[in-house]
Amino acid sequence: MAGQRRQEKWLQPDRDGKESGCGRAAGNGDGRQMTPYFEFTNPTKLCSGKGAVDNLAYELQILGVQHPMILSDAVLEKIGTLRVVLQALGDRKIGRIFTDIPRDSSVEVVNRIAQEYRDYGCDGIVALGGGSVLDTAKGVRLLIGQGSDNLLDLMGCECLPQGEHIPFLAIPTTAGTGSEATAVAVIRNTERNIKMEYISQQLMPDVAILDARMTQTLPPRITASTGMDTLCHAIEAYSCMQKNPLSDAYAVAAIELVRGNLMKAVCCGRSRKARLAMANASFLAGAAFSNSMVGVVHAVGHALGGVCHIAHGDAMNILLPAGMIFNRKVCREEYAGLLLYLAGPEVYVQTPKEKRADRAITEVLRLRRRLHQLTGLPLTLKEAGVDPAKFPEVAGVALNDGAVIVNPRQVTYESVIRILEMCYGE
Amino acid sequence: MKNEMMNQMNRLVLAVLLRGLRVLYRSDDRVRAEMDSWRKGLTLKLVCGPGGAALAVRQDDACGVVQVRRAQRTDITMRFKSVSGAFQVLSGQVGISDAYARHLFALEGDIYQTMSFVRCVEYIEAYLFPGFMARRILREVPEKKLSSLRVYALAAVERVR
Ligand SMILES: [Fe+2]
Repeated sequence: MAGQRRQEKWLQPDRDGKESGCGRAAGNGDGRQMTPYFEFTNPTKLCSGKGAVDNLAYELQILGVQHPMILSDAVLEKIGTLRVVLQALGDRKIGRIFTDIPRDSSVEVVNRIAQEYRDYGCDGIVALGGGSVLDTAKGVRLLIGQGSDNLLDLMGCECLPQGEHIPFLAIPTTAGTGSEATAVAVIRNTERNIKMEYISQQLMPDVAILDARMTQTLPPRITASTGMDTLCHAIEAYSCMQKNPLSDAYAVAAIELVRGNLMKAVCCGRSRKARLAMANASFLAGAAFSNSMVGVVHAVGHALGGVCHIAHGDAMNILLPAGMIFNRKVCREEYAGLLLYLAGPEVYVQTPKEKRADRAITEVLRLRRRLHQLTGLPLTLKEAGVDPAKFPEVAGVALNDGAVIVNPRQVTYESVIRILEMCYGE
Repeated sequence: MKNEMMNQMNRLVLAVLLRGLRVLYRSDDRVRAEMDSWRKGLTLKLVCGPGGAALAVRQDDACGVVQVRRAQRTDITMRFKSVSGAFQVLSGQVGISDAYARHLFALEGDIYQTMSFVRCVEYIEAYLFPGFMARRILREVPEKKLSSLRVYALAAVERVR
């Protein structure tokens, strides 16, 4: 009950009293104007649905891959998910199988795998795993394609020339990061304790394979956490400065799938329908935010990951409502519009126009509460074991995350501290 | 406007930007704190379109930044894709965050370290452009620690060589 009261208190008007019309991008009643220029790219071929993994051998053949490097992790090897993929390869040769990828992959891991890729004469990459495996694979592909041996030399945004084309197939085993559909890779820099962002079209897989068999064994707690990451991608993509009509379409389609399937995937993990729907939601939300970027929730979430080692999805779940409340001042219309997809048409039409944005935030809070009851997914930073003494360091790192540049509202040190305090839960 | 005219304007504003950075390093503690957080000797380059004006600077403890001539490789390079794109930003029509959102430039180097530079540019934009322009291009206009006129006057007499 206390939790519920706390959450409702969150919905009070912003402390400075001003509710809209003060931000440069604030709505004027006619909706935010469309950006004068936008770009949209998603060259990835999507194979989604029943038996999708069985097409792997064919897709490799089409891409001309003779000796693929298979990247995965030890857990997927143990529970048999990797075996399903290897069986799908039939009699095709394999260059190298590498399953020693940690949960929080780093520059060193990427550099080492790239070396093995060369040593074993591989000619393509198949990545099977969650965000960490997929992002590691992206790093390896970038290194090989650019003929480099250190990822730190390739930092930047949209700056790398088309290198050698390295065939790359991604098979996600969580429905969350959407990494199979993005031009972004987040990789840890162990030395500086930060998560670095790489943004390049060359990070986009040639093929993404979505198959319910790959996510069916995901425990409810992780299903919930990664599902909230997907929701967060869609909501942030729909409200960031780089949003555009195409990314909007992907974002709202993702939110509808989350609304209809996340609870089912958590409660009955064996439901292939719910699992596949969530995999598609993840891909759609990934494509959306790859083109419109994410905002303050991800900036702070990456910082919490880097400094306090909080799992990404957990951080998203904790931070999302606070981030929405922070941006509400300039995103009222976007949030009001999202209510239709978050809650369905009945709730949308029954809610007065001026209350829709707040209702959208309430819907997110509600979903969080239900997931918490079902899986124990933490609602506060306190529950997640974050030490508030780390807040200044987290805020400092968050401010330098690339995501703050497109957040619709200016992100300052003080505002990050306020968000962290709000999420601490006292 | 012809490319050459935009080029001239870009060159002029880059010179103002360099002076502005140095003036604000001395007179605005927020800008100073940002620049003090840069790695020692960090080099930064702004390139205003292919064949366009360019400015390269290096972090300096005494003045904030010093200009580097003939900088081949810098730690961070912000490369505008076109002369007109750079002109939109340098003439105050588009803010730096909008410029990013509109893909007006590509970034070579560490995104993490660039964010501090972006904040410095946003402070300078607040000083150099009139209020109505600053409000249009900035998400939040920071409070000024001294008048814009004073910044312009100090920048005019700033010795950069
Ligand atoms: Fe995410």
